[in-house]
Amino acid sequence: MQIIKLNATDSTNAHLKKMLVGQTLDDFTVVVASEQTNGRGQIGTNWTSEAGKNLTFSILKKMNGFAVDHQFLLNICVSLAVFNTLKAIHIPDLSIKWPNDILSGSSKVCGILIENTLAGNQIQASVIGIGLNVNQTNFTNLPNATSIKLLLGRSFDLDELLNMVLTNLEKIFISLEKGGNNTLWTAYENVLFRKNKPSTFQNGAGDYFMGFITGVSEMGKLLVTLEDDVLKEFNLKEVKLLY
Amino acid sequence: MDIKEIQSLIKFVAKSGATEVKLETDDIKITIRTGDGNYRGATTMVQQIPVGQHMAPMSHAQPEAPAVQTAENAAKEAAKEDSKYITIKSPIIGTFYRKPSPDKPVFVEVGSEIAKGDVLCVIEAMKLFNDIESEVSGKIVKVLVEDSSPVEFDQPLFLVDPS
Repeated sequence: MQIIKLNATDSTNAHLKKMLVGQTLDDFTVVVASEQTNGRGQIGTNWTSEAGKNLTFSILKKMNGFAVDHQFLLNICVSLAVFNTLKAIHIPDLSIKWPNDILSGSSKVCGILIENTLAGNQIQASVIGIGLNVNQTNFTNLPNATSIKLLLGRSFDLDELLNMVLTNLEKIFISLEKGGNNTLWTAYENVLFRKNKPSTFQNGAGDYFMGFITGVSEMGKLLVTLEDDVLKEFNLKEVKLLY
Repeated sequence: MDIKEIQSLIKFVAKSGATEVKLETDDIKITIRTGDGNYRGATTMVQQIPVGQHMAPMSHAQPEAPAVQTAENAAKEAAKEDSKYITIKSPIIGTFYRKPSPDKPVFVEVGSEIAKGDVLCVIEAMKLFNDIESEVSGKIVKVLVEDSSPVEFDQPLFLVDPS
């Protein structure tokens, strides 16, 4: 495994994607930066992180015959790798908020951004970006954010944590290659945030409704059981969970 | 009237055997001519008349228009029209983005020369961002979907002239 350490870059995902142009990189090449000047979240959103205090890194996962129809498995694998790492260091009340935020209680400790390269319907490679809040303690203007230090009351070695996440991710990808889809899917659904709890949602039109998160469909949509026992599936733009 | 309804209408007119259909409502005027030797395929002229009100329902004008026309049919239609062009279609359901991020320029425009492996657009679904690479080399003739709009599986995204 090749780990490239940078003092600063715009975004580790962008950096890794640029490296991919015109050269062949090994599977599991990792780019880690002390500082991201333009860290990204969803389209048009940012990932901000104090320099030197957190883990912001990207992993190249090369694929061999991975149909894009199964792409949600990537969210599952990466979320579980981070989840398992944080569980091992005893972060309390952990869950995965669909599709791929890692929460402690109702605060976000880790964000994930996955970018795939597609040729036809086959994923050639995935660039997996992970932003893990480690030793930062001040989150002004980010009321839903927290860090490992805030949760456990002590600082953590960034390299040590990075190695733990990478080891867990490798393990999960090996079990995926061995056909462990169903096991991974179940493990993910079991730790979903607010699963089987009465929750309030808002739909695209702004209307509120009540329902229970039941699981995730094959395509990765959120399955919600509504009041009249009707099971409905939603994509990310169709529903917002209020918490 | 959106692009799908127009595509349905063209198909309907083509099937009906009529050579020319003119349709005019409060805010839209459409002329559809079907091929009779002078034309390579169906020709459509759409004129949007800017008025401040919503368009009138079109149902009276297209009683049997196939409302459930699939993206696949639309693709076939496009292929028939421009058989020398290659249609690049969406491999997944998601949101279509023409730029890597909102502050960046578009990946490709009409007229852009593309090579096999070049990224044409991003399609996002459930926070998974997919760079769609071209499987052909050529020139972009048409961009068929607006930036930041939802796309269906197999929906045509680009027309490429492979020559």
